[in-house]
Amino acid sequence: MKISQSAKEKTKIKILQSAVDLIIEKGFDNASLREMAKNAGVSNPTIYNYFPSKEKLLYAYIEQKHKEAIATIQEIEDFHTYTLREQLQTLIETELELYLEDREFIIQIADMVFHSSGLKMGKLYETNALFIETVDEMLSIAIEAGEIQELPFREHLPKLFWDYYIMVVAYWVKDDSEMFENTTQFIDHSLGLADAVLHSDILSKASDLGMFFFKTHMLNSLQKFASKKDSLNLIKRKLGDVLHG
Amino acid sequence: MDNALPTGKLSRGKVVGKALLKIGAKKTKRFVTGGSKEDNHEEIADIIFDALGELKGVSVKIAQQVALGMPFLPPAYLEKISKSFNAIPSINKALVRKIIKTELGLYPQDAFESFEMTAFAAASLGQVHLATKDGEQLAVKVQYPGIRKSIESDMSLIHFGMKRFAKGQNVDHIVGEIEARLYEEVDYILEAKNCDFFREKLQIKNIIIPEVYHDLSSEKVLTTTYLEGLEFDTYLLANPSQESRDAYAQLIFDSFFHALYKLKSIHADPNPGNFLFMQGGKLGLIDFGCVKKVDEDFLQMYNQLHLNLIADNDDISIIQQYIKLGMIEEESEEKMLKFYTEIIKPLDALYKEPLVGDSYNFKENPDFAKRGFEMIFEVQQKQFNSVHKLNEQFLFINRTLLGYYALFEKMGAKIETRGVKELMRGLK
Repeated sequence: MKISQSAKEKTKIKILQSAVDLIIEKGFDNASLREMAKNAGVSNPTIYNYFPSKEKLLYAYIEQKHKEAIATIQEIEDFHTYTLREQLQTLIETELELYLEDREFIIQIADMVFHSSGLKMGKLYETNALFIETVDEMLSIAIEAGEIQELPFREHLPKLFWDYYIMVVAYWVKDDSEMFENTTQFIDHSLGLADAVLHSDILSKASDLGMFFFKTHMLNSLQKFASKKDSLNLIKRKLGDVLHG
Repeated sequence: MDNALPTGKLSRGKVVGKALLKIGAKKTKRFVTGGSKEDNHEEIADIIFDALGELKGVSVKIAQQVALGMPFLPPAYLEKISKSFNAIPSINKALVRKIIKTELGLYPQDAFESFEMTAFAAASLGQVHLATKDGEQLAVKVQYPGIRKSIESDMSLIHFGMKRFAKGQNVDHIVGEIEARLYEEVDYILEAKNCDFFREKLQIKNIIIPEVYHDLSSEKVLTTTYLEGLEFDTYLLANPSQESRDAYAQLIFDSFFHALYKLKSIHADPNPGNFLFMQGGKLGLIDFGCVKKVDEDFLQMYNQLHLNLIADNDDISIIQQYIKLGMIEEESEEKMLKFYTEIIKPLDALYKEPLVGDSYNFKENPDFAKRGFEMIFEVQQKQFNSVHKLNEQFLFINRTLLGYYALFEKMGAKIETRGVKELMRGLK
């Protein structure tokens, strides 16, 4: 018998929730996949089918929250009337909202990412496709609607926003204010700043300045270097040293 | 981690510090150029309010409360304060959604049948949104997060600045009072209670007080029935008839005294934004964030004093009343008389002016409020000592009253005072 997609999804969510509960109770290192399977009422082979390792389960959790956050946002009828800033702010606030229930679990993950080498930061990047796609869409719409101008480094902005989001989560994890209102204000103020930058010409001016320096000075120097074979070789060697330790 | 936040004391300290430096520079300049004192006050007020503006948020409200609590401040300051009223930062859609969810446990679209994400009015430390539930139109007041915390850091700065302004006089109790009032004002649960209280007890024809929806309210969200009406300025712009102006002024005047003498509570914020001019001559009272309960014993003394004033009794018997109120220290009769005639009597004259006759026409006295503020300023110039002698309840009541008179003046209205005096004489 073939298991339907939605049944699969349900099982996945069930496993994730029992895994989160167990990790909160026992800590990431002491919680075994076996016990998670038992708590979720699935067999051992089943859990391995879904999540070959505990790490994979963590990433799946993060992806799942992106999905839920986006689904929540899609329910907002007049979301199209939100400004870009309001849309981005809603995305972040909704994610945090979903994390709130599992806060202790998030604290553990943050600890592993930032303080021990238990998890690689780079690995977290593999979970952000949906998030980045959503941000990218919001940006595109804002540009198309003429809310903001076409930006230099446009394609990098969604990734940059993800980095910002990680920073917000790191702040939230350490936030001990009532109702986490410091985080709320931090988001509000920092996005206010980002918004001001996006609406100004600063980014394109900065890129103009960068291009100017590159064209007039860097290119010049490079050409000089290129004409002197020895120094170019020297640079190559130095670079090789750096790259190969 | 806290240092990274703009609410941190450090960054706020810097802004205020910069302002104090600027004032120092202005003072020197005046000393050199010999400019007029009034100019200088205005310049200083500019600097202070620029600095407060940079701090944003709660500071504007603090500035307003400072004006209410310290009527002896120069008129230049008070004028600045009234201008800054609408400068409260707006809460964007993302934040409104977040606050409603945090406070009520549901997103706006789930907590209400409909919810306008764009606010229709500014309120004290927040903004008001229109919503509907069960076919009823509602006004939902939402507060900006972190207000409580910034009151603390802002007030300690104000305290610091005020101490210097007061040249060594004790201002602790006034600052303390303002701080307590601000904390009350950010507590919407308390405001809901006050609103309930007034709705139940202030039974005056044509006074409309909204109903609180407690299950849709919390410390930072307050939901009440929506009242439809014109704001003060819009009402006046529509050029209403003299009858309408007089009737509204009378309604405000009567309900103030009724609340004071019957409910022993006043709405201590004479801001025109607290009134809605509704159809059919009805007056909506909204915003119960600044309600002052008046002590029974104090009220008896206050009332006796003012009855004596209206009856034009001699200074010595009036001074006796002030001693009871703790506003004049008992010493030689000569000294007390000097203090009274110089400091308090001009204020008394101001208080009783509208109340002595059976009616008072503000249209014929279009400079009443101006004279009032100037007199307060003059008194303050004469003797700064009066700061610590003013009884706080006394201060709030009379300051509020003066605020209402300023509104009546703008309305060019005439009020009848017999009913109010009956109320005063009837106080048991």
